[in-house]
Amino acid sequence: MGVFVFLPLVLPLTAWPIARLAEQHLHPRAATWLLSAVAGVFAVCSTLCLGLLMVVGTAQLPGNPLPDGWSDPEVREAVPYDEVAGKAAIPALFAVLAACTRLVWRHQRVRRRAERALAGLPATPVAVLPDEVPYAYALPGRRDRVVVSTGMLAGLDSAERRALFAHERTHLARRHHRFLLTVQLAAWANPFLRPLRTAVTYTAERWADEEAAQAVGSRRTVARAIGKSALMSRGAPVATLAGFAATGPVPRRVAALLRPAPAGRIWPPAFTTVGLAAWGAAVGTTASALSSANSAVTLFLILHAATPM
Amino acid sequence: MRDQERGRRRGQGKLEAQVLAALREASEPASAAWVQEKLGGALAYTTVITILTRLLAKGAVTREKVGRSFVWTAAADEAGLAALRMRRVLDKESDREAVLASFVTGLSQQDEEMLRELLTRTREAEE
Repeated sequence: MGVFVFLPLVLPLTAWPIARLAEQHLHPRAATWLLSAVAGVFAVCSTLCLGLLMVVGTAQLPGNPLPDGWSDPEVREAVPYDEVAGKAAIPALFAVLAACTRLVWRHQRVRRRAERALAGLPATPVAVLPDEVPYAYALPGRRDRVVVSTGMLAGLDSAERRALFAHERTHLARRHHRFLLTVQLAAWANPFLRPLRTAVTYTAERWADEEAAQAVGSRRTVARAIGKSALMSRGAPVATLAGFAATGPVPRRVAALLRPAPAGRIWPPAFTTVGLAAWGAAVGTTASALSSANSAVTLFLILHAATPM
Repeated sequence: MRDQERGRRRGQGKLEAQVLAALREASEPASAAWVQEKLGGALAYTTVITILTRLLAKGAVTREKVGRSFVWTAAADEAGLAALRMRRVLDKESDREAVLASFVTGLSQQDEEMLRELLTRTREAEE
């Protein structure tokens, strides 16, 4: 397996250009799908390779409970710098698994608690809760629901309310929580995938905005609904370094809605910057998948040969 | 075991709503025994007390001392109770932003100015 086993750990870097450009140049639906799929494949490959490195690492542990063949010199030589890499892989893999388990557990806990909070209300698709604090959430569950506070509705006119509901219904209908969970898990599996998490969090919102604009038939109405609710919801200003602060997601979404609708094409033309970025990520993903498959097969063959049956 | 626990807890949410609904039908502050009777005696007296105490902690009912026991008054309806419970979920989960996709996220000072300008432009374009 040699150096191939390390490639999937760093290949996620090839997705950085597309993570940065997709927002501007792809339809948000295509961007969400592409980035989530890329993040998912990279994360699986990267974790698989950590697992393989860990197998090599455990071969060096004195008194390991594995068969003798496990610690054969051939197994160790399968990886360059096996001592360092193998030992480092053990805590790294455990950290990844712990973080991902914790994330999934938290997801389920929040969803369960929210569902419990609404127990006793009639089973309507929209729950309006009397609360001055403005909020609106899409709650996926056995019964999908949109939860919105009266404080939020009070600040919007009827067209803007329709836009808000259309936005939240898109989150539910398109199962956006699955995309978000995928990229969040991926970001824990390999820190190089964090820009993809940021990008998908944004493109999923844009996707819901675009579908809401189609549903209510006016991009401006959706833009106004977002702008008004953001100004209503603002609590303490988010702490940012003045001067360095990039424009936040909300003004970017509003500005995007004030421009014409994005083209619906799935894959960008090859000889543009975004096209090259997309192909770069595709090649990186393929290389990552091939490298991890190659490493897995190699290690399996080595262990098979080393273990007396 | 886990499922049972979960079922019980979800049941509690429903029970709270039922107790509150019964209390809301009372024309004047009611005792726990009255609530128990109103619910058809399906719940033990201590269960009713437990649920009322929990509703009190959430601010959905109030109580006052009359003689040696308490009388209870509903301070919220079912939607109000759900709102109080939802707020607790939202306040408690520091990372809820990561779990629940929020309609809007926080604004920096710079964002706010830019947003106001964009909204003004929208309005002008419409006039």
